[in-house]
Amino acid sequence: MADKIKLFVNGEEVEVESGKNLVDAVSAVGIEIPHLCYHPALGADGNCRMCLVGLEEGGPPLVPACKTPAQEGMKVLLDAEHIRKIQHDVMEFELINHPIDCPVCDQAGECKLQDYYMGYDRKDSRMTVPQVTKSKKLDFGGGVVHDQERCIVCGRCVRFLRQITKTGELGIINRTDTARVNIFPGRPIDNRYGLNVVDLCPVGAMTSSDFRFKQRVWFLKKVPSVCHGCAKGCSITIDHNREKYQDDIIYRFRPRLNQQVNGYFMCNDGRLSYRRENEGRLTQFRLGKNERDMLDVITGCNKEIAHSRKTVVLVSPDLSLEQMVSVKALAEKLGATLSGFSDGYIKTGDGDDYLISDDKAANRKGLEILGIDSSRKSFEEAMADAELLINFNNDLSLSYDESGIRSLLGDTRTIACSTHDDELTGQAHFALAISSYSEYAGTVINCDNVLQHFTKAVTKNNELPDVCAIAAELGSPLQNAGQAYAELQRAIGALSEYQPADIPAEGLNLNDSEAANVTA
Amino acid sequence: MGAKVKTIARRGSTLQERIFLIEIFKGMATTFGHFWRNLLDNSKLYVRHYPEVKPEIPVRWRGRHRLTSHEDGSVKCVACFMCQTNCPAQCIQIQAGERLDGKAEKMPVSFNIDLLECIYCGYCVEACPLDAIRMDTGIYSVTGKDRESFNMGIDDLLAKQGAFTEEDYKKGGA
Repeated sequence: MADKIKLFVNGEEVEVESGKNLVDAVSAVGIEIPHLCYHPALGADGNCRMCLVGLEEGGPPLVPACKTPAQEGMKVLLDAEHIRKIQHDVMEFELINHPIDCPVCDQAGECKLQDYYMGYDRKDSRMTVPQVTKSKKLDFGGGVVHDQERCIVCGRCVRFLRQITKTGELGIINRTDTARVNIFPGRPIDNRYGLNVVDLCPVGAMTSSDFRFKQRVWFLKKVPSVCHGCAKGCSITIDHNREKYQDDIIYRFRPRLNQQVNGYFMCNDGRLSYRRENEGRLTQFRLGKNERDMLDVITGCNKEIAHSRKTVVLVSPDLSLEQMVSVKALAEKLGATLSGFSDGYIKTGDGDDYLISDDKAANRKGLEILGIDSSRKSFEEAMADAELLINFNNDLSLSYDESGIRSLLGDTRTIACSTHDDELTGQAHFALAISSYSEYAGTVINCDNVLQHFTKAVTKNNELPDVCAIAAELGSPLQNAGQAYAELQRAIGALSEYQPADIPAEGLNLNDSEAANVTA
Repeated sequence: MGAKVKTIARRGSTLQERIFLIEIFKGMATTFGHFWRNLLDNSKLYVRHYPEVKPEIPVRWRGRHRLTSHEDGSVKCVACFMCQTNCPAQCIQIQAGERLDGKAEKMPVSFNIDLLECIYCGYCVEACPLDAIRMDTGIYSVTGKDRESFNMGIDDLLAKQGAFTEEDYKKGGA
């Protein structure tokens, strides 16, 4: 914990952390200093002048708060007459050439210009000369659409691409009225984190071609969750909405601040992985090729399980810890071989040293911590004489090619519990639709041993059971996710004092608690 | 402050009133008086011969909606969703798409109003920043043979013109 210092804001004493600038320090205690160009991840630039605050006694009378470190005994003026005037004047300046096309702007509703206009300006424009017009709807590549008229030239996007991705595709060209952000000719934004500039842009100058015009942001329900795109497990916000007479669908993922995992950003692949939650889903329960009632299929499965002399249970490394515990209990009850074989989920060389991991499985650490064997050898040995394979959403097509799967399965009967409808599910003797991670609550551990809990975001019209419920129907002694969590608390010592709702939003770092204390 | 109290004498206690028959006949006399007078001469009747004679609709009457268009016939709406956001009955459903005619960036691909759900409050008209939706068609009677016919699509909404001149409409407070 950093040292605390005391300073005064508008004459009131507040205690803040030392070593931060004024914007961050006082925002931690709930006092907002308006700022446009400053972003904690990109550092202070000081070009927008929106964060100018007054200092009583000592130092210059006016300082940019983003570039001023908080110091003991500082007397900061925020609501003085002359500061208000500065804020108002800066806003008036920012809005001189603003096209005010909020009705067609995707940023409307989460736009800093709108917020600050309402908070600090609230005056009509005094412009009597024609506005400067610039280019609109420029395709910057990488799914980014740029509108130069809306741009306030804060340079956040430029700094992001220079400092964080170090690709530097964007630059600000020309000066004053003609200053604009642009790409170099023929060199579009081409990196795997490019879409973060859409979030970074405080106004509507950068919009995502993927989300463009799909939905107004105030309709979206925002639920914190965890990305399942790779083993990094970035904290995200799921923005979803159910339109009238339609199904609840996800419109976008946005990164959620988590200093322990992903900071402020996430990769493009993860951001666009929301599509997989909406599309290609398995929604039926099938006996062979025929759609049946869920209970009929479960009854069929239970008969099959009773007849089988050797059963193999395969789990996906994407399942939550609760689900893994349920499936493990099921396998123990059935006397079946449990495997988490999923070598195909690892794409060697795909990852980088930032937020993308080679391993595309969200919870491989969970398999390890629960002691579920994931080796190819033991899985194939078990499959050699298996009569029945119960597959909990493990995508075998990632690990084997078509002939490989055929020789692996042989004449083994299969029960496929799957979120998505693919060829393997189509060939399965029993197919059971299960909910995907946006539709259940659970806990996952990322590649850095950070345990995060996520809640249920989407409620489909046709709600599907989750793996815990299916496992219970097939004979697992754990009846629901709650019981599975209690079991999980016994397996992971660090969880014993936490209920799911109490797990901090930043997650629990098992490295510095008691990863060694794992008993399972 | 106490309200003004006016005391009204209670009637019905005299002998004549308590023998109901007399009062009934007095009442019937009034009724039949009107009946015969109206039967013989209905020119003074306070009744409109609807639907042969239609009422005059004031400009500010909130009738069935329409979408307005530019002079070249293209739709004014830019799909900002203000009307859908403001609609208390949630009867408006819009889908937005890219606009390529240079008038704006965005336009409605579909714009549906379910007239069975609409409460004709006029909030959509108030919310519209572009005067793209109006309730000035003068249609006060919406009829149909099935539910689907009450679901107005973008073409239905664009087809109808306003029932008043632009000048009168503006005078009406728009």
